Amino acid sequence: MLHLPRPLTAALALCATLCAGPVTAEMTKSLNINGATGLIEMPSGEMQDDAAFSFSIANAGPITRATIAFQFSERLSASFRFNTWRDWNKLFPADPKKFTDQSFDIRYQVLKEGQYLPSLSIGLIDLTGEGLLSSEYIAATKSLGERFKVTAGLGWGRLGTDGSIGQPFGTRPPLAENDKDKPNIDQWFRGDAAPFAGIEVKLTDRWTFKGEYSSDAYVLEDSRGIVERSSPFNFGFEYQKGPNTRFGVYSLYGSEFGLVFHMILDPKNRATGGVMGAAPVPVKARPSRASDPDAYDGGWVTQSDAGPLLRKNLAKRLSVDGITIENMAFTAKTVEVRIRSGRIEAVAQAIGRVARALSHVMPASVENFEIVPVVNGIGASKVTIKRSDLEALEYAADNATLLRSRVIFGDAGPVPDYALGTGKLYPKFRWSLKPAIRTTEQLKGDLGARLSASYNLQPGLVFSGSVYARVYGNIKSSTGPSASTLPHVRSDGGLYSTNGEIALERLSVAWFTRPASNLFSRVSFGYLERMHAGVSGELLWKPVDSKLALGAELNYSKQRNTDGMFGFDEYDYDIVTGYVSAYYDFGNGYLGQIDVGRYLAGDVGATISFDRVFVNGWRFGAFATLTDVSSAEFGDGSFDKGIRFSIPLSWALGNQSNSSFGTSLRNGAGDGGARLDVDGRLYDSIRDYHGGALDTEWGRVWR
Amino acid sequence: MGPGVALKLSLKLAAAVIIMAVLASCGEDKYQGSPLVQAVGAVAKATVGKAAEKRASATAVAPAPVTRADLEKFGVPILRAVIAARGADALLTMSDAKGSIITWSTTDGTTFTLRNGVLIQTRGLGPDLMSAQAPSLAALQTDGSTHQRIYFLLGADDRGTRRSYDCTVSVGGREVIVIFGRSHTVTRVTENCTRPQDKIANEFWIEGSVIRKSRQLASGGAGFIDFEQVVD
Repeated sequence: MLHLPRPLTAALALCATLCAGPVTAEMTKSLNINGATGLIEMPSGEMQDDAAFSFSIANAGPITRATIAFQFSERLSASFRFNTWRDWNKLFPADPKKFTDQSFDIRYQVLKEGQYLPSLSIGLIDLTGEGLLSSEYIAATKSLGERFKVTAGLGWGRLGTDGSIGQPFGTRPPLAENDKDKPNIDQWFRGDAAPFAGIEVKLTDRWTFKGEYSSDAYVLEDSRGIVERSSPFNFGFEYQKGPNTRFGVYSLYGSEFGLVFHMILDPKNRATGGVMGAAPVPVKARPSRASDPDAYDGGWVTQSDAGPLLRKNLAKRLSVDGITIENMAFTAKTVEVRIRSGRIEAVAQAIGRVARALSHVMPASVENFEIVPVVNGIGASKVTIKRSDLEALEYAADNATLLRSRVIFGDAGPVPDYALGTGKLYPKFRWSLKPAIRTTEQLKGDLGARLSASYNLQPGLVFSGSVYARVYGNIKSSTGPSASTLPHVRSDGGLYSTNGEIALERLSVAWFTRPASNLFSRVSFGYLERMHAGVSGELLWKPVDSKLALGAELNYSKQRNTDGMFGFDEYDYDIVTGYVSAYYDFGNGYLGQIDVGRYLAGDVGATISFDRVFVNGWRFGAFATLTDVSSAEFGDGSFDKGIRFSIPLSWALGNQSNSSFGTSLRNGAGDGGARLDVDGRLYDSIRDYHGGALDTEWGRVWR
Repeated sequence: MGPGVALKLSLKLAAAVIIMAVLASCGEDKYQGSPLVQAVGAVAKATVGKAAEKRASATAVAPAPVTRADLEKFGVPILRAVIAARGADALLTMSDAKGSIITWSTTDGTTFTLRNGVLIQTRGLGPDLMSAQAPSLAALQTDGSTHQRIYFLLGADDRGTRRSYDCTVSVGGREVIVIFGRSHTVTRVTENCTRPQDKIANEFWIEGSVIRKSRQLASGGAGFIDFEQVVD
């Protein structure tokens, strides 16, 4: 093998990087075996395309890595990774055979690639874990022509363990036991720094060769006798299959063999290129007032059968799109219709369909269409469309923007006194039996079936319950109580899973109301979730066009028995918890939330979360909770953090459906920073119907 | 973990998945079939779609089995739309007429709205043309005239986007075209449009004041659509 002095290799690569010519075309920004943009194990200066969501699984020697990563913005990416070391006990028979750890990374692109400048990124790897992978880097990548890319970088921490050039920013303090699971700020860019470099050559449209010089000495694995690193050079081939999948096979450390599979999804693009589903009915044009003045006479309102007839006709038209009329009220000039949309996930589209249907059903004298989407039985907002605007703009250029400038988004307000009523909608019983995946702790959970039922007594008042039966799971039946020194409000999750093969998850009553304009409220009582029962109340202030929302929640709960039945004697634990919350819509689908209050174990602290939501229903984000318990008490993960995502089925299949698939991945189910898992929290159920969300999807109003 | 264990595990999983699939479609509060069943359906559709596309391209040279007499029997106007990118060929009937704006519909609810024969909207294609600032028929009949053409599209991310072009009309010579066995003497018009990223050309074959035939861009995803006014 070629043995160039290491700094020289890096210098050569760096020169090639900076002395590069213009770019002609772009090569794929490929991922490494850690599921981050890069070479084989080393990172690069590049980023994935905005919003890219990737899932990677790699088997590299004795280590398995599974990573979920998303490009939160053009320059910022985050990833969450599970690592499993096999043969962990090779030299230490007392240790477990396998060792698992999670890591959370953040990467930021400082420079985008230009004609002469490389792309440049900095990254913090495993910044909140036990520090087994903790490292920081700065890396630059430059394309040379259409088929060649070169990367050079400098790494610290694990990435600074081989070929160090010194400690430019001082020594790296060891990670104190107390600081584990918290951001390792004191260590960042400290200690030995070592250069790394690599190349990527596109051989054909599908095949790529990668070679790298790694600065990771594999000290930990070597000390456990599971990796014998004989070379700093890694190389291998990657195969791109379609836009969404990529495979790689590598020679690693001169002694191991690695395989990787990546699945890369683009939330911004539907598999079908756009939302499918039949065209809407055309707007029905009224005769001109001059040609038929009688048609505009409002005398019809006095006919006794007008209401039921109009409602029946409207219901027939809306049922095609899965839209239900909750209530309806009209005068000679205005109609207010309260609707629930079951199938069309874009509220704007449902509103457009209702307006079109109204143009067919309502007599010509009715000029104002007020459409109120109903969620949990309460009006979420009111969209007022002038019928004449609908008629005039149907075929106009840029009709969505023009219509938006003429409609009014307002508070739903109370149901008018003269409304027709909810008809036969209440009381209503529904049930379903569906497969369900439940995760109890990291990579542990079960597959089962969930039987759910609900009984809607009247708008806003619903009794509901669900029973979950485990079919298959990987939680060991020998799981005992956790070793947590806090009340075991979450950490006995394994016991709940194994003791309650068939368990009552929820059995509660919820009451949703609109106490005043811009205010929403919820009270829930009963078996609220699988581990706790009690009462929960919430109040939300959210004007329709406000980016800011404020909320308050107060709960009293008792911990349930692990058998998933009705009793409470196993834990003698009850507590009052509560939060004040601020929600902010930053625009373009970026949402932020801060909750401050008292958590289930009695700890006091705050949760901060950021999410990115897409019009088509995709959603991903990250959250972190810090409370006043010491990390020793906190159990697994003293500082609870994780990522969450949700993928709508309509995105994958192109059809219209409200179902989605998603989960949140956190490190461990610790007792610190835990919250009651109540159904129907207000902000998330209301937001889709308010200004920010409705505006971003407004393009679908004419769909 | 040995291969035997892995196999057992995957068998267990497979069994679980089958149970799920069986369980999946019970209940009253759903609006759709189970996700699994839907996914299978979508895949089946995609496969069938591909096969259909192949068949369409293979038989493209063969004459359409439908004759003009068959079509005229219905006594309603008929427009033919061919979407090459989809391997789709459909005969459309009117579902709405408002002055010079006519909406044409397929049997499965995809619509095309044309103003005097100029495409201004589509619905149901997926990547739809939501609205358009498009030239009038008079502008298309004026050689050398220029206009701005704007496509308002619903992007793959479900957000409204626009594509704006600067266009020049060039009126060509007379031609004779045959549509379903009938000859039409038409003037060929090309609308050449450019924007910094690309250029496109829409083509029209105009008979008197009727666009008899055209080839017009709908959207990036759906590509060009060939229209033929078969029965007036």
